[in-house]
Amino acid sequence: MRLRHFFLAAALFAQTWALHASEAGVVDWHKPFVGVPAVNVPSTAPSFHRIANFDGSTRSVILTATSSNVLAALDPIAGGVAWRYIFEDDERVIAYRQHSDVVAAVSGAGGATLRLFNSSAGHLIVEKRLHSPEAGRLFEPETLGTSIAFASDADSHDVLVLSNAHIVRRVDSQSREVVWGWTAPDEAALVAYSKLVSTPSAVYAVGLSKSPAAYTLNVAALAPATGEVLATVRIPSSIQNGLADFLVLECAHGDGVPRIVWRDAEDASLRFAALAPGLEGKALAARGAYKMIKDVGLGSHGRFVALKEDGSARVLQLGEAGMAVLWEFAESATSDRYTESFYAGGFDKDGDAYVARVFWSHVHKKASAHIFAAHLANGTGLTVGFTFPFDTATHGIINHVALDAASVADMQVRARLVLTTSTGAVQLWDRDALVWTREEGLTDIRAAEMVELPEPAAAAAHGGEDKSFGERLRRQLADAQGFPQYAAAFARRFVTGAYASVSAPANGSAPLARDAFGFRKIIVVATAHGKLYGLDSAYGSVVWSRVLGLGWAAKIGGDVIPLKVFALRTVADGGDPQVVLVTQRRARNTLMDTVLFHVNALTGEDMRGKSGPDELLEGFDAIAGPLVDTYMLQLDVGRVAVLLDEFAQVHLYPETDETKDAFAKVLPNLHVPLRTGAPGHRRLTGHEFPTELEFTGRYVPQPTWTLTFPPSEDIRALVPRPREPVASLGKVLGNRTTLYKYLNPHLTAVVTEFASAAGARPSRCALYLVDGAKGTVVYHVMLPAAGGKCDVHVTLTENWLVYVYYDPETTGMGTTKGHRVVSVELYEGLGADARTRSSDLSSLSKDTTAIQSFEQAYVLPHGVTAMSTTSTKYGITMKDIIVANNNYQIQSFPRRFLDPRRPKHKPTNQELEEWLIQYDALIPDDPKRVLSHNYRVIGTKHILTSPALLESTSLVFAYGQDLFFTRVAPSGTFDVLSENFNKAQLVFTIAGLALAIVIAKPMVRRKRLREKWYD
Amino acid sequence: MATLAVEPSKWKNLPPPPGFSSTTSSSRTPNKASTKAAASYENLKTKRAWDFAISPAKSLPMQAFMLYMSGGGVQIFSMGIVFMLLSSPFKNLAGINTAFAPFAPASSPPKALSTLALQKVAYLLCNLLTLALGLWKCRSMGLLPTGTGDWLAFETRGQPPDITLL
Repeated sequence: MRLRHFFLAAALFAQTWALHASEAGVVDWHKPFVGVPAVNVPSTAPSFHRIANFDGSTRSVILTATSSNVLAALDPIAGGVAWRYIFEDDERVIAYRQHSDVVAAVSGAGGATLRLFNSSAGHLIVEKRLHSPEAGRLFEPETLGTSIAFASDADSHDVLVLSNAHIVRRVDSQSREVVWGWTAPDEAALVAYSKLVSTPSAVYAVGLSKSPAAYTLNVAALAPATGEVLATVRIPSSIQNGLADFLVLECAHGDGVPRIVWRDAEDASLRFAALAPGLEGKALAARGAYKMIKDVGLGSHGRFVALKEDGSARVLQLGEAGMAVLWEFAESATSDRYTESFYAGGFDKDGDAYVARVFWSHVHKKASAHIFAAHLANGTGLTVGFTFPFDTATHGIINHVALDAASVADMQVRARLVLTTSTGAVQLWDRDALVWTREEGLTDIRAAEMVELPEPAAAAAHGGEDKSFGERLRRQLADAQGFPQYAAAFARRFVTGAYASVSAPANGSAPLARDAFGFRKIIVVATAHGKLYGLDSAYGSVVWSRVLGLGWAAKIGGDVIPLKVFALRTVADGGDPQVVLVTQRRARNTLMDTVLFHVNALTGEDMRGKSGPDELLEGFDAIAGPLVDTYMLQLDVGRVAVLLDEFAQVHLYPETDETKDAFAKVLPNLHVPLRTGAPGHRRLTGHEFPTELEFTGRYVPQPTWTLTFPPSEDIRALVPRPREPVASLGKVLGNRTTLYKYLNPHLTAVVTEFASAAGARPSRCALYLVDGAKGTVVYHVMLPAAGGKCDVHVTLTENWLVYVYYDPETTGMGTTKGHRVVSVELYEGLGADARTRSSDLSSLSKDTTAIQSFEQAYVLPHGVTAMSTTSTKYGITMKDIIVANNNYQIQSFPRRFLDPRRPKHKPTNQELEEWLIQYDALIPDDPKRVLSHNYRVIGTKHILTSPALLESTSLVFAYGQDLFFTRVAPSGTFDVLSENFNKAQLVFTIAGLALAIVIAKPMVRRKRLREKWYD
Repeated sequence: MATLAVEPSKWKNLPPPPGFSSTTSSSRTPNKASTKAAASYENLKTKRAWDFAISPAKSLPMQAFMLYMSGGGVQIFSMGIVFMLLSSPFKNLAGINTAFAPFAPASSPPKALSTLALQKVAYLLCNLLTLALGLWKCRSMGLLPTGTGDWLAFETRGQPPDITLL
């Protein structure tokens, strides 16, 4: 009995590994991101917001809604995240609006939910459901039909919200009650309201109704206090572009009379109308033809920008005097010497308005900004211009500009610009000085790979073979020159015990080289914004980055979607490590190409030598067409990327005679399972390669087997078993028999979903374990599709399959809904000691299906957004499961808890010898095993693990939105002396013993001599 | 053995007590008596040889008791006893000829393997019993590599003949 307790205590003690407080933030790093700003519509694009402090001073934040579904405030001084609010995945944020110390945001289909935030700290003040998400109408773009305004009554903080394009509500920001609501009458349902303006006397909803040729403006005036309809009017107008061709200007700084301005399609002129509660005003026309009007956010001053037919831009003002041209930007007409301009408006501390024009000059290769301030130079208007060295080779092109200005002296304007670029970077420029850059593109990583670094240069100096004895002698003499330093360093290290420590930070300042334990690696990531980064895993800093070129599609535009990153050459192959990025380029004209980018993983240098270090990285058009799949194959001559085009023809990279010969050699034994068939009922078809070439000069695999699923079932994902070293071939039981692991190298997990009809939400999911060489189903399970989606996460390693799903059904007493994790282990043969040698068995053998499986389901405390297992160099260390959970944490679950052989009874002695613990349905939510400790790691979609040089340690990189990196030692750092090992004691003991020998030796010799006399 | 050490020559030369004839008896009896004594002496030696041959078996119960007392864990005491049990049979067998030399009959060379063959075989078997006891203890402590699990680390697997692109 006591023995059992001892074992249990030992087992539990072994598990109390945890992150120490001293290691937090040292062995790990976390980069919070907000996402790439959604710049397509002004209601979500970045804007400056000035907040008044209590002492009268002001400070700014940069507000933005992002494509990662986040509403965020950035600090313009340091570039950090002041606050961010993460919306649920099924609830897109579609508009935000700021007003004094409040930011209002509307999210969900048609504007389902209103939230108010404190603008300085981001605290959620009010959350109000306006309508159920199902009742939301979908618009294109989704921001149409939603608008926010703040009540203009003197002492009111109410918010007015237009949602679903026909409902206006006034929401009390204290009690979050709806004060009144107005729904557009049914006969006017053809009117889609899209703008809302609030004045003390009336609230105006402005919308468009469709008439045969164009759109017509409609305005409804409502009483601010009661929501009664004061008047509705249809303004005779003809608007071509319903989204961009009309503006509503509040003119709060002018006479307080809001005005509508639109570009009439009949004669391309600008027309405008003042809004009064009775809506009796008349539409007036301004002279001149305009191509486009642009809202620059200066509606409170009645200002906007209009482009003339030749593209030159004018700042216009609407007021009591009608429409006035304040300024015309010089040389703003469309030209091939500079790009199209961006216009942005901003305010200074005193609320005066500025308009900026930003463009890129092809001639000077620099970006220029012109800032116009109407109130300066004694009211005559002033323009200041400057150029700034925007780095287009690193950050692509400018997609959006936001402006914040200050008037330092009467003739001086200090402008701060926030740029959003096509690579997803957000930059703040203070005039021509770059203050900070945020690489928000890293929130959309599509492919990532960790690459081992070479050893420090000194140790790796000797590369090739020496030719003669003399050369060798010379080299050895040269090497010996460093011996005194080495000896001194060794002595110092020996005495002081100043060894590299496992809990020390990897040294990020040293030149890019491997550290003592191989914790430092280069993480090569490719984003959907067409940029390739090399991140230093020591601190997460960007070591190099390259913008992916579009090749021939540069003229018409397009985008590059990364698929996979492969390490083509590793440090073991000698030289610098190299990676190849496989992408698909989708040109604007819908042509798809498969493009490869081959770079040096340490510097980002183009290994094909086609583009210089300061240019766009030009790729290699491997296939003129889409890609079916791509694989990394280890051949005798090195690693080769195998690409299959849409006709399943084989392309190799690098494609040399050597690789072709080596590929032809392995060809007879090569199998590839491919997804075939139309979307909706894809099936898995196994292929083999005939040894002769097709007439096209390429190998084309031939189908050998098909795994047919039921007709309504479709493949959702393939999760192959990673090729990792396996240290132990079996599991030794308490009675010292062995369960041999089923290590079929062809195993792959297939997740499928059932949909009753094409496009319908899936009703069930299924998981198969398939032998990819011959199509045998080894394991199969049906899973519920909670909420109409197959949210199943699968990892497969060695003989261990773990999957997580949400079970929404309660089938009877004692069952609960919840997140389930199922652990499955496969072993060879039937019973212990049965052995089929599955790891090197021919796939044609019948023994490949002789397996036994153990499985056990557990309840997980949280939902899971990504899952992976740790991976170590030799596979000796136990494998933990690393998950990203719904609480924005990265957590590790020890394998011992997930062991499918945990007994349901009290463990017997033999089971205790295996360190099995009694089954408990709930996996404990151990806060000590939260790797991300107090960080909130948001939006994790993938977890990448990679071995360190130490067998005990695995590197973990989580990405999705935030980046998080840490290292874990699932079995403890058994291969390193512990931190508190008393080195001094050891040295002193040895020294003492040596001293004792020195003293005792002559004494013993004398004694021996004396004894000889008496013999 | 001490009786053997007495020199017969010392009392042979003594004069016979009065009334005893020295001529008649002295010619026959000493001869007869000495052969008898020699035979019983040989018998005695054989008996002692048998005793010695079986002696390892006699100590088995005591050793078993010691093993029981030393417990099932792998500790210094149990390991010492097990080591003794495992090593003593080999030590005994290595010195088998010297050990049996004093019991060797006068007729045969004392250190030859063939002398006292039967006793030596019995001695061997008894030592094997001791060894078996030691091995049994090892097994019960889990020190014998009898299961497949003990040889798992030496198993190897080659490269799979087929490659699947996954």
